[in-house]
Amino acid sequence: MAQQQSAIDLPGSTGIPRSLSDRPFMVRLLVHSGRFMVSKPLGGFGVIVIALVVFAALSADLISRYDPTESFVVDKPACTAEQVKQIAVVGDPPGRTIETHPPIDVCFDPVLAEIAQDEPLLRLELTTKSPDRIQTGKRTLISESPSADHWLGTDLSGRDLWSRIIYGSQLALVIGLGASLVAVVFGTLLGIVSAYFGGSIDMVVQRLMDSFQAFPPFILLLLLTQTVDNPSKWLLAVFLGIVGVALVTRIVRSAVLAARQEVYVLAARTIGAHDVRIMLRHILPNIFSPIIVVFTSSIGAYILAEAGLAFIGLGDPVAISWGKMVEEGRRLGPTKPLMALFVGSALTVTVLGFNLAGDALRDVLDPRLRGRGGRAGF
Amino acid sequence: MQKYIIRRVLINIPVILLVATLVFFATSVLPGDYVLQRLTSNDSIENSTPAQREKHLADVRADLGLDDPVVIRYFKYMGNLARLDFGNSFANGDPALTPFRDGIPYTAQLGLMTLFVAIVTSIPIGILSAIRQDSWPDYVLRVFSILALAMPNFWVATMLLLYIVRWSLWEVPITTHPLLWEDPLASIRLFGIPAVAGGIASGAGIMRLLRSQMLEVLRQDYIRTAWAKGMRERVVITRHALKNAMIPVITSIGLTTAAIIGGNVVFESLFNIPGVGFKILDAIRARDIAVVQSFVIVIATFIVFVNLGIDLLYGLFDPRIQYS
Repeated sequence: MAQQQSAIDLPGSTGIPRSLSDRPFMVRLLVHSGRFMVSKPLGGFGVIVIALVVFAALSADLISRYDPTESFVVDKPACTAEQVKQIAVVGDPPGRTIETHPPIDVCFDPVLAEIAQDEPLLRLELTTKSPDRIQTGKRTLISESPSADHWLGTDLSGRDLWSRIIYGSQLALVIGLGASLVAVVFGTLLGIVSAYFGGSIDMVVQRLMDSFQAFPPFILLLLLTQTVDNPSKWLLAVFLGIVGVALVTRIVRSAVLAARQEVYVLAARTIGAHDVRIMLRHILPNIFSPIIVVFTSSIGAYILAEAGLAFIGLGDPVAISWGKMVEEGRRLGPTKPLMALFVGSALTVTVLGFNLAGDALRDVLDPRLRGRGGRAGF
Repeated sequence: MQKYIIRRVLINIPVILLVATLVFFATSVLPGDYVLQRLTSNDSIENSTPAQREKHLADVRADLGLDDPVVIRYFKYMGNLARLDFGNSFANGDPALTPFRDGIPYTAQLGLMTLFVAIVTSIPIGILSAIRQDSWPDYVLRVFSILALAMPNFWVATMLLLYIVRWSLWEVPITTHPLLWEDPLASIRLFGIPAVAGGIASGAGIMRLLRSQMLEVLRQDYIRTAWAKGMRERVVITRHALKNAMIPVITSIGLTTAAIIGGNVVFESLFNIPGVGFKILDAIRARDIAVVQSFVIVIATFIVFVNLGIDLLYGLFDPRIQYS
C-alpha cells in the first residue's frame, strides 16, 4: 500500500496523475473530503447532517414558511341557534354561578359578544376560559395536528412548529459552537501555560482544574446561569464553555507535555526564541489535532446541556430553544405527544450529526483517543 | 502503597478548599439575596412604610450575617468549615445539610437504579458486540448505542411518560414519589422511567468503551495462547479478556457512580422527586446560600474520594499497576 503511493508520487512517471499536493486547494479539499466520506461513512453522514443544520440556521428566513413568533388564528364559525341559546343562558341572571360549555370556545356570535361587553360576569368567565376570543371572533390554533398549512402542527400558543424548529437550529449552533470555542480557547491557554512552565504554575492550575472537575458540572452551570437575571444565549454559551474548560485543559496539557520534549522545541530554544514564541509557533501547531478533536466532539454535549437547562426553565427566556419546546410539548399532555416527538427528534439528529463527525475526526486525527470519550459531559 | 494513599488524600484537601472558595464566591455574586427573594413578598412588611421595610430587611440581613463585607464573610465561612460547621439554612434555621440528608434517599435510589440499568444493558451487550464483531447484531447494537448517546435523556423520559399515560400502561405516582422500601411497586412505576431513560444513555457510553477495549484485548498474544491451550470460550472471554478490558470501563462506571450523589436536576424536576438536585435548585433560586455551599462541598468531597477509590481499585483488577 505504502509502496504504491510512493510510486504515484514519483515525478515524471507518465500516465499517472500528478501528486495531490500539486493540485489547486479546492481540488485537494474535494479529494480529501471525498476520501473522508468513503473511509468514514458514518462521519460523512454526520457532516451532511451538520451541513443541513447550518443551512437551516442560515436560511431560516427562507425555509421557515412563517414567522416563528406569530400565533395563528382562524375565524370562529358562526354559532348555531342551539349554541346561541346555551351561551345566552349563561350570562342571563347576573350573579349566579356560570357554567360554560364547549360551544363558547368553538363558535362566535356577534350579538352575544356585544352582550358580553356589558355583562361583566359573562365577560370575566369567557376571558378566563378562553382569553380574547369572544370579542374578536377568532380562535387561536392551539396544538393543531400536522396539516398542509402547518407541516408539523402548531404549539401551545398557536405558533407554527416547523418554523420554530427551523429557527431553533440557530440557538443550537450558537450554543454548541460558542461554548466549545470558549472552552477550547481558555482550556488551550491554561493547558499550554501549565504544561510549558511546569513547577508551581502547573501545580496551581492543576489543583484549580481538579476542583472544577470535582464541582458537579450541572450545579456549576446552574450557579453560573443564576449570576445574571435572564441570561442571553451568548452568555449561556460562555457559561457552558467555562464548565468545559477543565476537560480541555487536561487534554491540552498532556499533549504539550509530550510536545515540549521534542527536538524542534529544543532547537527553537537554542536559537534564542522566547517562551511566548515557542508556545505559539512551535508547540501550538503541533497539538492542533487533539484540540480540533475535543472541539468537535464536545459540541453535541453542549447542545444537550443547554437543552436540559431550557427544559427546566433556566435557559435564555427569549430565544427559541428546542429544550424549552420539548417542555412545551410535555405540557400538551399525553393526547398530543407529537410536538415533543418532533422537537426531540430534531435535537437528537443534530447532536447525532456532531457526535458522528467528531468521532470520525478523532479516528483520523488522534487514533489514540479512540473509544476513550474525550467529550465534555454534564 | 500507603504513601501513595496518604499523598493522594493530602492532594485532595486543597482541592476541596478550592471548591469551597469557588462556591463561596459564586454564591456571593448572585444578584439579589435571600432577604430580597423571600421576605419582600411577606405581607407583614408589604404594608409598612418604605423606611420601616428597609429597616426590617436590614435587621434580617444582620441576623443572617449578610451585611458583613464579602472578605469578612469568607473568613468566617472558612473558619466554620474548618470546624465542619456548614451553617444554617436561611429558610428555617435548620442545619444547612438537613435538606441534603432528606434528599439523599431519593437521589441514591434514582442513581442506583440508573446505574443498574446502565450496567445490566451495557456489559453483556458490549461483550457480545465485540466477540461477534461485524455481525448484524453488532451493527444493530452499535447503531442503537450511537443513537442513545445523542438522545437527550430528559426527552426520552418525557416521551416514555407521555406514552405510558397515553396507552394507560400503568399509573405514575408523580405526586407521592414513594421510595422503594415504602411501596416497592409504586416506586418502580415512578423511578423506573427516569432510570431507564438515563440508564440507556450512560449504558451506551459504557458499551462503546467496553466494546473497543475488548476488541483491542482480544487481539493480544495471551488471548491466542489461551485459545491454543484449548480453554473454553467462556473462560477466555471472562477470565482473560474481560478482566483486562475492564479497567477503563471501571473508571467510567466509577465516575458515573460519583456523579450520582449530585442528583439529576432535570429528572428530579420533571418527576417531582425531592432529591438532592431538586433541593439544590430550590436553594439556588431562593438564594439560600448556606445550603448551596454545604451541598456543593459535600458532593465534591464525595467525588474526589470516590475517584481515589477508583484508582485504588485498578490494582485489584490489574496487579501490574504499581502505585508510587
